[in-house]
Amino acid sequence: MTTQTKQIGKYRVEVIRDKCISAASCAAIAPQVFKMDEEDLAVVISQDGNDDETKLLAAQSCPTMAVIVTDTETGQQVWPPQGQ
Amino acid sequence: MISPQTYTARLEDKLQHNQKFTQYSFELIEPHRLEFQAGQYVSIKVSDQGEHRSYSICSTPDNNHQFDLLIDSTPGGLGVQLFNNLEFGHEIDILAPMGLFVVPEDLAVDQLVFVATGSGIAPFKSMIEDQLRNKKDQRQLTLHWGMCRPEDLLWLEEWQELDEAFPNFHFHPVLSQAPEAWTLCRGRVTDCLSIHERPINAAYFLCGGQDMIQDVTNLLTQKGVSQELIITEKFY
Repeated sequence: MTTQTKQIGKYRVEVIRDKCISAASCAAIAPQVFKMDEEDLAVVISQDGNDDETKLLAAQSCPTMAVIVTDTETGQQVWPPQGQ
Repeated sequence: MISPQTYTARLEDKLQHNQKFTQYSFELIEPHRLEFQAGQYVSIKVSDQGEHRSYSICSTPDNNHQFDLLIDSTPGGLGVQLFNNLEFGHEIDILAPMGLFVVPEDLAVDQLVFVATGSGIAPFKSMIEDQLRNKKDQRQLTLHWGMCRPEDLLWLEEWQELDEAFPNFHFHPVLSQAPEAWTLCRGRVTDCLSIHERPINAAYFLCGGQDMIQDVTNLLTQKGVSQELIITEKFY
């Protein structure tokens, strides 16, 4: 018998601080991964708090594309699309 | 704050205010109620690649089965393309409610000053109406709104109605390209703020481009306003 398990934590997120405009969308969508710091800028507090889908959605919701998502298995940047 | 979730909404109405601005009204389908605070925004998926754009809600929270957005068509990017192609009855997916740009319930000030440029007026339409009509706020509320030309202004009847109905509301439009006949403030919002007497014990809400927010923040802090009383929402 084989079992299928969802792989959590495949995506690694990073905030480009200079691009953050304090919209707080990432922290609203993935509050276990992002929070707003004392300067009201987004920071990563954990890579494992929310699942990959939620982390990607949090990154995609950022108005300034300040959140980079990398697939740690392939090393590929998932978000923003390369060239943007 | 309520956590954001995905909603499906249907375009019910659109009103082109002028060449720049169009107001879109959406009816919520599933879930059919959206609890939000005045000043919050929605995030809309605008491409199959997953790109999102954010738009402040300009309607008030008491109408929780629909929401209105004000779209500036001049940038011409992915968001504008999506709205240009929307027909009545088309459905969109949104993430909402988003953002922290709201009037805090426990804000211990005597006056609220709102400063906007361009489409930065959108959240203030919701916030000011909500404070005056729904929350019966008796404090002095002042709106400074910077635009280029008179034909760019919108909701003038609505602002006029509020001005007449609520003696504690004060509306100061300022034009950078004012015609000769314009009798109100000219120049930038910083000029308008400098001309009018600085209110005592006021909180400032700034919404618009980053340059305006930086300039107004500098002006206010030079005048002794503490940073904690300057609450901002940057448009980009």
